[in-house]
Amino acid sequence: MAVRIRLKRMGAHKAPFYRVVVSDSRSPRDGRFIEEIGTYNPVVQPAQVKIDEEKALKWLQTGAQASDTVRDLLSKAGVMKKFHELKLQK
Amino acid sequence: MKANEPDALSKTTRVNLLFDFYEPLLTEKQRTFLKYYFHDDFSLGEIAAEFGISRQAVYDNVKRAEQALEGYESKLNLLVKHETLLKLADQLEKSVMNLAIEDTERTALVSVIDAFRAADNRLEKEVTVHGSI
Repeated sequence: MAVRIRLKRMGAHKAPFYRVVVSDSRSPRDGRFIEEIGTYNPVVQPAQVKIDEEKALKWLQTGAQASDTVRDLLSKAGVMKKFHELKLQK
Repeated sequence: MKANEPDALSKTTRVNLLFDFYEPLLTEKQRTFLKYYFHDDFSLGEIAAEFGISRQAVYDNVKRAEQALEGYESKLNLLVKHETLLKLADQLEKSVMNLAIEDTERTALVSVIDAFRAADNRLEKEVTVHGSI
C-alpha cells in the first residue's frame, strides 16, 4: 500500500489555502487522509509555509512518496535537505 | 507538465486560481481532471488508474484544460484585475489610516473601501466554498 504526501486544496473561492496531507494512494479524492503535516498559504505575501518537520521526516523515512508540489514545499522549508543528510548518515 | 516544470508549486497555485475564475467555462471532463490533478495533487498515473484510461490521455486532457484557462485569462484578464483591485484597496486603506482626520471620517472612508472589495467579490457568495479552512 503506497503512501503519498500531497497538497490538498482548501480555502475559499479565489483565496486558496492548502494542507499538506499524508494519505493512502488509493483513498478517494474527497476521502480521509492519515495525517496533516503542514499548511501552505499562497495568498499572503510572501507565501506562508508551515511544516511539521518531525512528522515530515518520519513519513519520508518510512517510504512515503511526496508529490512534485510537496517536494517543492519541503525543499523550500529545508526538510528535503535534512532527509538526504539523514539518509547519508546510515 | 508538473514533473518537468522547475516550479510545480507556483504552477499549481496559478492554475487553481484561474480555475476559480473560469470554472463555469470549462467542460465537465476538464473540471474533473483539473480537480484531481491540481486541487488534490494526484499523479497522472493515479488519475489514469482511477478512470481506466492511459496516462497519456490524462496528460492531454489536463494540458488542454490548462491551455483553455490561460486562453480565457489572456482575453478576459479577470485574475490580474482581481489582484490589482485588491492591491489598490490595501494601499488605499493604508493611506487612509495615516490621514490626520476625525475617526468618524476615517470609518466612513474605510467602509467605502470595504464596499469596493465586496463589489469585486460579489459573485463569490453564490459559488461553492472549497472545503472549510
